[in-house]
Amino acid sequence: MTKTMLPSKIALVLLLVSTLVAFSCRKPQVATKPPAPPPVTTPTPPTPTPTITLRAEPATIERGGSVTLQWEARNAATVSITPGLGDVPVSGNRSVSPTSSVSYQATATGPGGTATDVARITVNIPPAPTPDKPKPPVTSTTIDTPSLKDILFEYDQADIRADMVAILQGNANWMKANPNARVTIQGHCDERGSEEYNLGLGDRRANAVKEYLLSQGIPASRLSTVSYGEDMPSCREQSEDCFARNRRAHLLAESR
Amino acid sequence: MIRREFVFVFPAFLYAAGARASAQQIITGTNKGAEGIKLALPEFQPDSNDPKLAALAAVFNKVLWDDLDYSGGVTLVSRSLYPLGRFSEPGQIKIDDWTSAAVQAQYLAFGNIRTQNGISVEARLWDLKVAQNREVLGERFRSDATEEGARLIAHRLADAIIDRIGGKQGIAQTSIAHISERTPGVKELFLMDYDGNNSHGLTTYRSITLSPAWSPDGDKIAFASYRRGGPDIEILSPLDRRPYTFERAGGTTSMPAWSPDGSKIAFSTSRDGSDMEIYTADWNGKNMRRLTVNKAVDVSPVWNPRTGREIAFTSGRSGTPQIYIMDAEGTNVRRLIDEGGDAVNPAWSPDGMRIAFAWQRGTSRFDIYIHEIATGRNTQITNNAGDNEKPTWAPDGRHVAFESSRTGIKQIYSMILDGTKVRQLTNTGKNTAPAWSGFMK
Repeated sequence: MTKTMLPSKIALVLLLVSTLVAFSCRKPQVATKPPAPPPVTTPTPPTPTPTITLRAEPATIERGGSVTLQWEARNAATVSITPGLGDVPVSGNRSVSPTSSVSYQATATGPGGTATDVARITVNIPPAPTPDKPKPPVTSTTIDTPSLKDILFEYDQADIRADMVAILQGNANWMKANPNARVTIQGHCDERGSEEYNLGLGDRRANAVKEYLLSQGIPASRLSTVSYGEDMPSCREQSEDCFARNRRAHLLAESR
Repeated sequence: MIRREFVFVFPAFLYAAGARASAQQIITGTNKGAEGIKLALPEFQPDSNDPKLAALAAVFNKVLWDDLDYSGGVTLVSRSLYPLGRFSEPGQIKIDDWTSAAVQAQYLAFGNIRTQNGISVEARLWDLKVAQNREVLGERFRSDATEEGARLIAHRLADAIIDRIGGKQGIAQTSIAHISERTPGVKELFLMDYDGNNSHGLTTYRSITLSPAWSPDGDKIAFASYRRGGPDIEILSPLDRRPYTFERAGGTTSMPAWSPDGSKIAFSTSRDGSDMEIYTADWNGKNMRRLTVNKAVDVSPVWNPRTGREIAFTSGRSGTPQIYIMDAEGTNVRRLIDEGGDAVNPAWSPDGMRIAFAWQRGTSRFDIYIHEIATGRNTQITNNAGDNEKPTWAPDGRHVAFESSRTGIKQIYSMILDGTKVRQLTNTGKNTAPAWSGFMK
């Protein structure tokens, strides 16, 4: 407790002090009117005051569950329920599904005044799912399929070379024979030229291969592309032979 | 953090022989836009023999000298020409010793360093050409008694000196973001001081990260990352690594560039299934809008930082990659350079007048060139073995940083536009794609 006086205590002290002052000073009374007579009240027939009861069943739910609100008013002309329900019949019930704990308040209004009742609904919220929780396991594995062959390109080109068509057709045939396989087409470049431009060139190479596979009837849903530009060379020597092997579209199969 | 306060400046004219009392305000005309002002910078003296203080003073003196030397705004007079003695207080300075034919200094910066609530540096900059009101700067700086604190004070003082006599705002407190590959195949976003110190990683994605770009307010860095599959744009705060949302574009998406008002990002993406094209979007990735339409690669967009009304980019539409400029709505496309070779990596100067770029001009190597927009003149500013690529401008418009393979492995270098004061800033792993920050607030 703090040592400050509570307002009620202060008031009490003031009352005592003023009483003492009043008694000790004996101030002369200035106005000496006779006490007023009690007010005259005309007797009228009593207007009954409204009553209302509001119940929630059940009073506690899990999030997503529903609750029945039931109410009954007497001597009331109108009834309204907040939040959200507004004006309702004088008695009735309604099903609600609040997403968090809430107090519903029913107000009955009649010639005799108003009455309110409150029903509290507790909503238990399940713990939030842990973010980044791994999704249910998907049995998919990315595998380097020997049957899928790299498609090689000329320097700064993304057109399918004549000598690559048969190899690409072989890849298309493999995909037809393995209809559950999805294929990611990676586009790659050699280290020459600008890194940023090569990202675009690798993208074009991957898309050129994708276009060919689409033309062979492979559905787009089984194909995806990604460009690695010059970031993932398969060969790290600085030779023409190595550059030629790095300018490629590399296909990775994933089966479900 | 550095706290700065003004030193009580004991009137300099009292030390000057034959001082007159007229209180004429000297505005030194030579400090406007001039380069090569001769500054003498004797070592700041520690006020005790404390070995720790001596070590911090050595760091401070080295960093201050390097900052001013690389600033391009002053010419430091060699210390071997200075008079003998200690110069830490005004009473120890004899003007004639510094203006003599042997030294010929126009300005003198001197002071002392002491242990006081951390370390405290008292610094003065004197204009030696005038007889009175000689003190151009008199300030005391404080920071932690650590090497980092000594560096911070030196950078702060160097910028204060350059601000007064270097003709431009100093860059000693700026930073450079870049990509670093320290494990093969893993490229992370890094940040370092403009001089290569204090290097640290901002991402630990263990993936490939590309193309950092500073927001104009310096609060955010946009870049591209492969960590969710294909490369897409991400944004984070370099201070607390807080991420900001940028809507996934899909396809191959990279090379973000901020509009000068910070409200938009231009980038390159193949999201619509064609080849990479230039898009703009709000900086949260909403309202993506395609600007280029042609069957060729369009990459490396960069806004005119002065007007925000034009975007330069690299396109393969004429065969080999070349630099083009278009209006920010995608209209009025024109080619920047009419000669052949691969011209890539446009970087617009802060004043909007020049574009730095990398050019393979009849050689197999890239070198950095500066293209002057008004005259069309191209000036080559690197000429080394290996490729020199991805120029980025310092906010003073006087320095550029770039990546170079001149030592066999890509590292980041900075230099003055005239090709002098070349500094290698990185040496751990392979370092690429420098992005120089704006002035720090």
